[in-house]
Amino acid sequence: MASIDTGGGGSGKKPVNQEVPLIPFIDLLLCCIMFLLATAVWNQLASMNANQQVPGQASTEDAPPEDEKVKLILQIRNAGYVLGSSAGESIDIKKRVVADQREFDVDELKSKLGQWKQAWDKRDDLIVAPEDGVRYEDVIIAMDVASAAGFSTLSMADGATFL
Amino acid sequence: MAIEKPQKELLYSVPLRFVRHRVTGHGRKSVDHQIPLIPFIDFLIVLVIFLLMSFSASGELIAQQPTITMPDAANTTNLEIAPVIAVDNRVITLDGNRVADTQTQGQSAQVDRIEPLIQGLEAEKRKWETIHPSEPFTGEVIVQSDRNIDFRVLKKILFSAAVAGYGNVSFAVNQREQ
Repeated sequence: MASIDTGGGGSGKKPVNQEVPLIPFIDLLLCCIMFLLATAVWNQLASMNANQQVPGQASTEDAPPEDEKVKLILQIRNAGYVLGSSAGESIDIKKRVVADQREFDVDELKSKLGQWKQAWDKRDDLIVAPEDGVRYEDVIIAMDVASAAGFSTLSMADGATFL
Repeated sequence: MAIEKPQKELLYSVPLRFVRHRVTGHGRKSVDHQIPLIPFIDFLIVLVIFLLMSFSASGELIAQQPTITMPDAANTTNLEIAPVIAVDNRVITLDGNRVADTQTQGQSAQVDRIEPLIQGLEAEKRKWETIHPSEPFTGEVIVQSDRNIDFRVLKKILFSAAVAGYGNVSFAVNQREQ
């Protein structure tokens, strides 16, 4: 048992030396460790949220501003990304070749989405429309890039409807 | 009975000199030992701090499955309690119950309804509305899919979920540092 010794205690005064109760403290720490080990979550899982309601479908009492009627669409095609809007804009981002493999050009998508966000700074909604044959991982990467660019409200749609 | 100061008692009653020498230590190094409690407490505190840092108040909502390798993402939100649709290379399950085959769903390009999934989700919805009668239904569902699954399969799952009233989808991912 540990103790605090002030070195005094003479001349008739009450000694102020004190024993520190280490054993109950160790018991408390062991209980904490047991609890934390039992409730520990080792895998860091999270989620990317998307809804299936394309902007413009919802019936709202107030008419949306003019620029919100334009749908911003990120198509994920087997040939690459296509950034488009219902106003007629369309930006093709073809797949690049890396070590004889054709891969989605994520860096180019980051840059174009950043530019788009500056152009549509009041908008945070984006329709993500993957095509059949696109891997789920590529969809998540595109959604992650879109979230990082500031498009926090993502909607999922069928890519075939925008072809 | 009087209370006496504790002292060595064991084998003291043996009336042999060499035994008494052995018992008293015979001038050898004492075998008493102090347990070093302070380093032990330091170790325990470090352990508690490490475990507290990895503590998650929301707990483990979905379990990692050996057949599913989830994609990584950095811009994520926390998972919330909702029905879990798991998709691996072989089967599609709803809360652990098989509802369809992945291969079968991946064959046709048509957006078909997955009836067992719709029925299961509708049952979950009725259960939720019974438990939370005064709260509006949020329609959240967690999709835990393998990273190599074709989006064609997921499209059918999302369509079936929407038919059952689950319009908000949370795609489960492994959290990556930004």
